[in-house]
Amino acid sequence: MLERLDNEGWTPSAAAHLLNRAGFGGSPEAITSLHARGLGGAVEALLSEASDDDLFPPPAMIPRDLEALKKATSTASPEEKKKIQTAVTRENREQTSLLRRWWLDRMRWSPLGAREKATLFWHGHWATSIEKVKEPFAMWQQNETLRAYAFGPFEQMAREISRDPAMMRYLDLTQSKKGKPNENFARELMELFTVGEGHYSEDDIQQAARAFTGYRVNPKTQQFLFARRQFDDGTKSFFGFEGPFSGDDVIGFLVADPQCSKFLASKLWVFYAGSPPSPRLLTELAERYRALHLDTGEFLREIFQSREFYSPAVVRRQIKGPIQWLVQLCRQMEIALPPDSDQILRQLGQIPFAPPNVKGWDGGRAWISSATLLQRYNTAGNILARGKPNWQALGANATPSLVWRLFQSPLPPDLNQKFADYLGEHGSGSAALRDLVHLMLSTPDYQIT
Amino acid sequence: MSKTLHTRRQFLRTSLLGGAVSWSIPVFLERTFFSLDAQAADSAFATGKDSPILVVLQLAGGNDGLNTVVPFADDAYLRARPSIAIKDPLRLNDSLGLHPKLAGLRGMYDDGNLAIVQGVGYPNPNRSHFRSTEIWQTASDANKTESRGWIGRYFDSCCQGEDPAVGVSIGNQTPQAFAARDPKGISFAQPEQFRFASEKTSDPDAAEEFFRSVNEANDGGSIGMLEGSAPAQGETMDFLRRTALDAQMSSDKVLAITRKSRSEVPYPPGNLASSLNLVARLIAGGMPTRIYYVAQGGYDTHSNQKGSHERLLGDLDAAVTAFVGDLKSQGNLERVALMTFSEFGRRVAENGSGGTDHGAAAPLFVLGGGVKPGLYGTSPSLTDLRGGDIIHHVDFRSVYASLLQNWLHVPVKPILHREFPTIGFV
Repeated sequence: MLERLDNEGWTPSAAAHLLNRAGFGGSPEAITSLHARGLGGAVEALLSEASDDDLFPPPAMIPRDLEALKKATSTASPEEKKKIQTAVTRENREQTSLLRRWWLDRMRWSPLGAREKATLFWHGHWATSIEKVKEPFAMWQQNETLRAYAFGPFEQMAREISRDPAMMRYLDLTQSKKGKPNENFARELMELFTVGEGHYSEDDIQQAARAFTGYRVNPKTQQFLFARRQFDDGTKSFFGFEGPFSGDDVIGFLVADPQCSKFLASKLWVFYAGSPPSPRLLTELAERYRALHLDTGEFLREIFQSREFYSPAVVRRQIKGPIQWLVQLCRQMEIALPPDSDQILRQLGQIPFAPPNVKGWDGGRAWISSATLLQRYNTAGNILARGKPNWQALGANATPSLVWRLFQSPLPPDLNQKFADYLGEHGSGSAALRDLVHLMLSTPDYQIT
Repeated sequence: MSKTLHTRRQFLRTSLLGGAVSWSIPVFLERTFFSLDAQAADSAFATGKDSPILVVLQLAGGNDGLNTVVPFADDAYLRARPSIAIKDPLRLNDSLGLHPKLAGLRGMYDDGNLAIVQGVGYPNPNRSHFRSTEIWQTASDANKTESRGWIGRYFDSCCQGEDPAVGVSIGNQTPQAFAARDPKGISFAQPEQFRFASEKTSDPDAAEEFFRSVNEANDGGSIGMLEGSAPAQGETMDFLRRTALDAQMSSDKVLAITRKSRSEVPYPPGNLASSLNLVARLIAGGMPTRIYYVAQGGYDTHSNQKGSHERLLGDLDAAVTAFVGDLKSQGNLERVALMTFSEFGRRVAENGSGGTDHGAAAPLFVLGGGVKPGLYGTSPSLTDLRGGDIIHHVDFRSVYASLLQNWLHVPVKPILHREFPTIGFV
């Protein structure tokens, strides 16, 4: 067990930290009520929040019958063909946009948001992009798989993802067959999804690629299909074992390798705590994850209750990613997401369902450049102008309550003073309050959580 | 604090080296400045309107070198690629030609502005996109990891005390190549958005003043960092403050320059073309930038590569051709060198999906008015392979070393950690 945070450590600031990191933050009231549950109760609430699928009905999406489409285009005249393709492209664009909105709204309105946050982690881990997959339906299906296993056993998740049509298209698994295996999925499975670079050989990749042959997608239903005749059932040697291995066997070997728990524990820690664990902590984390049979929910339960997670090296040391920045801002200000959230996230460098490549988003300092920093400042102003927060409810004594709402920690004294001075000079009308919040958001300090 | 900085910069720029005067400063005076204050002299050099500029163009995803510079006369090439071999390249000689979409580059070869370096790679090649990109960006050995980039180390060793805009990356992200001990270099995609929009507030002047005051060094501890003597390390807040300050200081200049400078030459549509167009306008406007960084993605052609590769190279060719034409009409072509690179080439044999898997060595282009044209390195063998991949004959750091030493005129060793043989393309 990781050493547990003691009771004195469970302050309102600690509760805010937990809500920010395990979820996407919240209003002062949400922090107060999470704090009132005590540490154990709060973590329990976050990890076992009841399914809210019924509150967030997915956009109406049906699998496109690619077989019928192919048939239609094969007999069409060039003009008709172009027409059909234009219609498909437009429909895909609209559906993708609805899908993004649906997921972002879920992050915004889910009462605690921890499952959505974990789903976001796994989306960055099993990074798959609509840019190549093209089919919004497949991206939605993958998103549901990530959500279903977000707090579940990793091995099962890995098996599901290897059969996931979006992933299969993204890493060319659908083209891999006996005698002509495509290495793309096998390589990334090891390099990015399980054990990490340097812990396998080029030969392991080629052997694993053979084990993953025969994976196909039914063009009518868009579901996984195993084409036995395309599968290479010959003997493979992989990680020191020999046999006529299947893809699931390969995943089994990889997950059983201690390097896998180490690789994933480190990645989870970085995502939730903000910076790489020390070698000592990493050893401990990897051992715990392994002891818990790579059950992510159980592992996070220990992390969220550990003393280490609330240490000064962790609290307010993480640079917010664009999605975190946007969703947290709207939750804190108790406003809806802006209608052009898609566009905003594109400019800030994190488009849901379109990670830049199979490694996902680099995160950390890579989120911030001189360009994205200024864009955050400017976008914040637009969001406040259109989101219309209830300024008068913020009332008197605005500076301290706004600082708590937005930062949940003391700021450098000179910065506090500048805020107070600004309000002193401009009064506390709605316009002045809005400007003050815009300026609070236009600081380096607001970029961390 | 920032006052000191401001004064110091003004002192360097206007008083000591004085605006336009600094560009024509006699050599002996420059040397004197070196002995007086190396940093100051360096600044003088950077603001000069005739100092050399390097543009780094990343082809992300692993460009298929064999279908870019095509060994069309080699039987082994045709055998290895029954469905995707390029049979009608634009001939460079009896054995090599460029992809048919590279007509602009082919013209530059004739005009004497294009060098092609063949078989570029490194020992023990890594076939991971990310690791291999990291190796190229940090110029490390394949078995070592480095956190700082080769361009970042150039900033650290040669650009102390200079304008943050000494490096400009077009795009919203900063490439790892820019990672430095003392962070430098700015990134932006759209200049019109690269500023703080204070007019959206009810009191723009007050908001502007407030923005400036909170986005600069706001405590005593940061003063040293800004002077470059005590570099910011590790701390997230220091990094953010530094970025905020750089953004604030550069945005006025960038906006002013891009507002006034227009390109005389038409550019094709597409992201790469607009990036290079922006670079050309910044060069024309006299930015103190020495290294620009632009990227084109999509080269990971595992399946059905024929059409996609053709489109990528077509975009590349059209964008670079417009850029070169633009620089020529500005009269700046002589001081700009553009280098392309990609993390690896692709496997010699095509795969079963009409594409190619990750490979190793590949050719790269260096072009510009000051480039010595021609083919460099040896044409790679397609029969003597390692793991199905081309063996490199030129270490990519030799290309960097040549550009550092003979183009930017700076010592190589502090940047690449050791000497590498240079190549005669500049």
